[in-house]
Amino acid sequence: MSPDRIKELILLGIIVGSVATFGIWIDDYLSGRFFNRVTTSVVIVAILAAAQALVVISRNIDLSVGSTVGVAAYLTADFLASNNWANPAVAMILAMAVGAVLGSFNGLLVAYGKVPAIIVTLGTLALFRTLISLYSGGANVVAADLPGWVLQFNNVTLFSVAGLDLRLVFVIAVGVVVILQWALRRLRWGRRLYAIGSNPDAAKQAGLAAPRLIMLSFVGAGALAGLAGFMFMVRAGTISATAGSGLELESVAAAVVGGVSIFGGSGTIFGAFLGAILIDTLELSLVRVPQVSEFWRDAALGILVLFAVVLDATLQKRFTQRLSRAIRRGDRDHIEPSAIVMSPSEGGVG
Amino acid sequence: MKRGWAASHRWELFLMAILVVTIVVNASLSPFYLGVNNFVNLFWLSNEKIIVAIIMTYVIISGEIDLSVASVMGFSAAVMATVHQDSSFPFIIAILIGLTAGALAGLLQGLVITRFGLPSLVVTLAGLIGFRGAARVLMEDQSVSGFPGWFNQLGQQTLLGPLRLALIIFFVGLVIAWVVLEKGAFGRKVYVIGNNPEVARFSGVAVESVKLRLFITSGLVAGFAGVFFAARLGSVRGSLAEFFELDIITMVLLGGVSIFGGSGSMLGVALAIFTVLNIRNGLGLANVDGIIQTGAIGLLLIGSVLVPNLARRLSFGSSRTQTTASAPP
Amino acid sequence: MLESRPIFEIEGVSKRFDATQALDDVSLTLYRGEIHGLVGENGAGKSTLIKIMTGIHLADAGMMRVDGGDYAPADAAEAQLLGVAAIYQEPSIFPALTVAENIFIGHQSRGWLVNWKTMMSDSEHILAKLDIDIDSSMPAAGLTVAGQQAVEIAKAISLDTRVLIMDEPTASLSAHEVQRLFSQVRKLRESGVAVLFITHRLEELFEVCDRISVFRDGRHISTRPVAEVTEDSLIREMVGRDPSEFFARGEHPDGEVMLRVDSLSLQGKFADVSFEVRRGEVFGFAGLVGAGRTDVALALFGIATADTGTVELAGELVDVTSPNEALARGIAYLSEDRRSRGLSLAQSVSANITLATLARYTTRLGMVDRGAELADAETLSERLDIKTPDMDTPVANLSGGNQQKTMLAKWLNTEPRLLILDEPTRGIDVGAKADVHRFIDELARSGIAIIMISSDLPEVLAMSDRVAVMREGVLLDIFEKGQATQEQVMEAAVGVVS
Repeated sequence: MSPDRIKELILLGIIVGSVATFGIWIDDYLSGRFFNRVTTSVVIVAILAAAQALVVISRNIDLSVGSTVGVAAYLTADFLASNNWANPAVAMILAMAVGAVLGSFNGLLVAYGKVPAIIVTLGTLALFRTLISLYSGGANVVAADLPGWVLQFNNVTLFSVAGLDLRLVFVIAVGVVVILQWALRRLRWGRRLYAIGSNPDAAKQAGLAAPRLIMLSFVGAGALAGLAGFMFMVRAGTISATAGSGLELESVAAAVVGGVSIFGGSGTIFGAFLGAILIDTLELSLVRVPQVSEFWRDAALGILVLFAVVLDATLQKRFTQRLSRAIRRGDRDHIEPSAIVMSPSEGGVG
Repeated sequence: MKRGWAASHRWELFLMAILVVTIVVNASLSPFYLGVNNFVNLFWLSNEKIIVAIIMTYVIISGEIDLSVASVMGFSAAVMATVHQDSSFPFIIAILIGLTAGALAGLLQGLVITRFGLPSLVVTLAGLIGFRGAARVLMEDQSVSGFPGWFNQLGQQTLLGPLRLALIIFFVGLVIAWVVLEKGAFGRKVYVIGNNPEVARFSGVAVESVKLRLFITSGLVAGFAGVFFAARLGSVRGSLAEFFELDIITMVLLGGVSIFGGSGSMLGVALAIFTVLNIRNGLGLANVDGIIQTGAIGLLLIGSVLVPNLARRLSFGSSRTQTTASAPP
Repeated sequence: MLESRPIFEIEGVSKRFDATQALDDVSLTLYRGEIHGLVGENGAGKSTLIKIMTGIHLADAGMMRVDGGDYAPADAAEAQLLGVAAIYQEPSIFPALTVAENIFIGHQSRGWLVNWKTMMSDSEHILAKLDIDIDSSMPAAGLTVAGQQAVEIAKAISLDTRVLIMDEPTASLSAHEVQRLFSQVRKLRESGVAVLFITHRLEELFEVCDRISVFRDGRHISTRPVAEVTEDSLIREMVGRDPSEFFARGEHPDGEVMLRVDSLSLQGKFADVSFEVRRGEVFGFAGLVGAGRTDVALALFGIATADTGTVELAGELVDVTSPNEALARGIAYLSEDRRSRGLSLAQSVSANITLATLARYTTRLGMVDRGAELADAETLSERLDIKTPDMDTPVANLSGGNQQKTMLAKWLNTEPRLLILDEPTRGIDVGAKADVHRFIDELARSGIAIIMISSDLPEVLAMSDRVAVMREGVLLDIFEKGQATQEQVMEAAVGVVS
């Protein structure tokens, strides 16, 4: 089993375990309503976690996703306010296009300008936010001006089983995760993205076109952040210039908790999705534990992130050692007892 | 010697030029700009951030980063406010406990980073979320005020001429940090560690201990800044200083400090701070919205790395022999 | 074999780095289906040749041909496309990807999709053909070095590689793994690939190669079928450098014992190493790269901790656990790796010279006493004749020889009782080399005990009062001055039983 699969299983275990614990702890916890609340509220962070994972897997980071959400949400809402005819599909495509444009700006600077991603996206975090302010002139787009479908969109239910509603927004988020998970596994550029993050030098040697791929990952992340902006709009209704701020760190946290290594090359979209679900479940559950102040959720999240990092580091180490042992075992009998296996510490040259 | 200084401080010279241009433009825009009052006002809203930027300079030069500073500011202030509210200790004790909480927050993160060898980017991200959470746990959704009068005065009244205490501390701290970084043995070690931790280790420098001390100091200074912020506001909420970390890091990086560690100067960061504050102030005098000021700073940050990169590429071309010629066989 | 067509031709290739002529008018031809051994001392030019063949470096002069056509790759990726690939001692793999992906990453099936099923079965097919027992679906992170090399061989096959360069592939393999590697290499030969096999272990050459070429000082010395070569003839050609170019140390009195190492062992690195070094003595360590000499030095300097054995310094039992402690006890270690362990390149000459002794220049307020620092740095730089515009120049701006002297100055400033020099003259020009040699003699005369690790045989023989030879972690023999010839030492180092 690959380390990514192990991480996903551990996460699933933790999610099931915590749901069970809360179920014992809190009366009426395991209800359809709770399921509906989690599946609705996780949507934005789940999509952003996928966006973040896309970038982090190639050994970069995108701190501008929160601002991208804001720009996409505002521009889309503004467009809808004066074009009441527009249907959800048009709005969604518009939001994603806005996000993709912003993402390509990041990608251009990182991939071709060779500016570290953390600096670029720290800068665009501020810059994109400024764009909305300039555009909005400080005015909010209010829900009353938007087409009627906007405020209902969040509650559109495809079907219900025993009080469990399957909401459209959740299906879209899951669709994003499934498509991306599939793309990263089955498309050539997906595998190359992992290769670049896993060993950039070797990727260069193998002639994998790194700049173009990194550009692509930022455009993809931007488009997803745009989609999250759409989701933000249908949830909030009224959009101000500060829409989506703070989401950048939440998305990094969800990806890291989901087992996406900050050093690149490891982790999956599905893992990041589980990370988002775990965080959201804990947030929504802690609120309902009477003995625990609702304000505990951030503190708990911090501990969770720390735990995820430590787990990731130890798992990676263990995994490597265990496997090498297993492989070496076959040889053991053939090595003369006095033979010393050399390490290449004297790293010499010709 | 003079030419050598100019060659190795190109970025500082560039910042000086921008600063001069900003000052000239601002002065021509507004008759109030060049007054003493405006000079002090320049710092008023960012006083706490720029104090933390000083220690952040050290942390980034050493090759690490501390994303948790703003949360630790909030955490320290929250601890102070809680002690003040829930106990009968004199207020000075509450302040000391608040500062200790900041230092402990730094110690905890520093230990995790140095003992487990984990990346500070993620560990302090956990700290960012966790200590903000701890501040919220302590404060819930209330706002604590009612601090002693002398405390509020300390934050709000001028002390020396037009200068308030926090501003005096910033200038004193800046000078001390400058001297220690550039003339002190500790500063020397910080640079070596940022340049090449292996070389430092092989030269008998206690790399782990230096990093640990940096994170403890970072926590302590953030605690100080949080307490000052509380004094200036006269009240403490769980969200105190939220999102300050990005502004602080931007100032340091704009000052020419390499995100990969090993290079940068206190002069550069000081100039970056003055430039940022003057741009904000000038735009403010010209009635430009605060968020647009932030965008201008963001643009400056990206440009500060992009422009030298492009210049290098234009002057060297992309010959691969250039990069490998100096490698020994 | 030799009747077959040439697949790779090198004609008159030269390459110069700063002061060193790394390759000097080298010509070499590889044929289809041959395993061609390449030997030479460290610094003979083998690595440079590989880098030029794989497009990492550009030759200054000369030309290359693949299968009769001109060959001038712009980078490693283009070299691979043209059928030339290299496998290094440390293979470059993608740890997060599966074995199958590592084999096919550069050239997966056309189109956008990865066909996992086909890729897995192709991978299994290739691995089976090579008798490699590795699960195609497992991540490469879990592989041993041997496993990673096997994956790279499989990759070479899948790429239709025509020329495969193997740079010391056996250096970190166990005896059994080496045999397995050889059978894979022979399979490559059967399929018509030309293999350029580089190794320090002579017995391996005789076991697997068809022809053997010897390089020395960047020049091609000979190429002969393996049947016409003996170990003695190889060693003679490898070591045939004139020792008279080296500084010869004169007579000098022996001091008392400064360092006594008894049965020092470290699992996986070295075993049962014992020796003594006296004050005023230069104690040489000969052997090949990877023989465990540096590991012994690191254990003495407190970077690594030995499992068993004792170290006595000036008659006192010591247990050094950190470089700091080593320095306090008067042990200094000049690393062989100037760039990553020796110098902080971006910082000034003076800052580097005083780095290990910073406490001495620190005032009570924690400030560095610039006056005292500069004075000492200047004194040392004069003594060692370091050529630098001033003490504030970044070390990166100095030439290799002057960087090396700066590093030496750093350690001298610690006023050591025991100075360990690891490859002190690697990669520096002749003039600087002579300076360093003269200086080592001077230091020894002043009463310092010196350990000198060097893979440069004539150097270590000329400079040392006694020479220890290590091989595969074992200290084999200690020769008195004048007792050993280059041939004898090389035979011991490569494991020829005489």
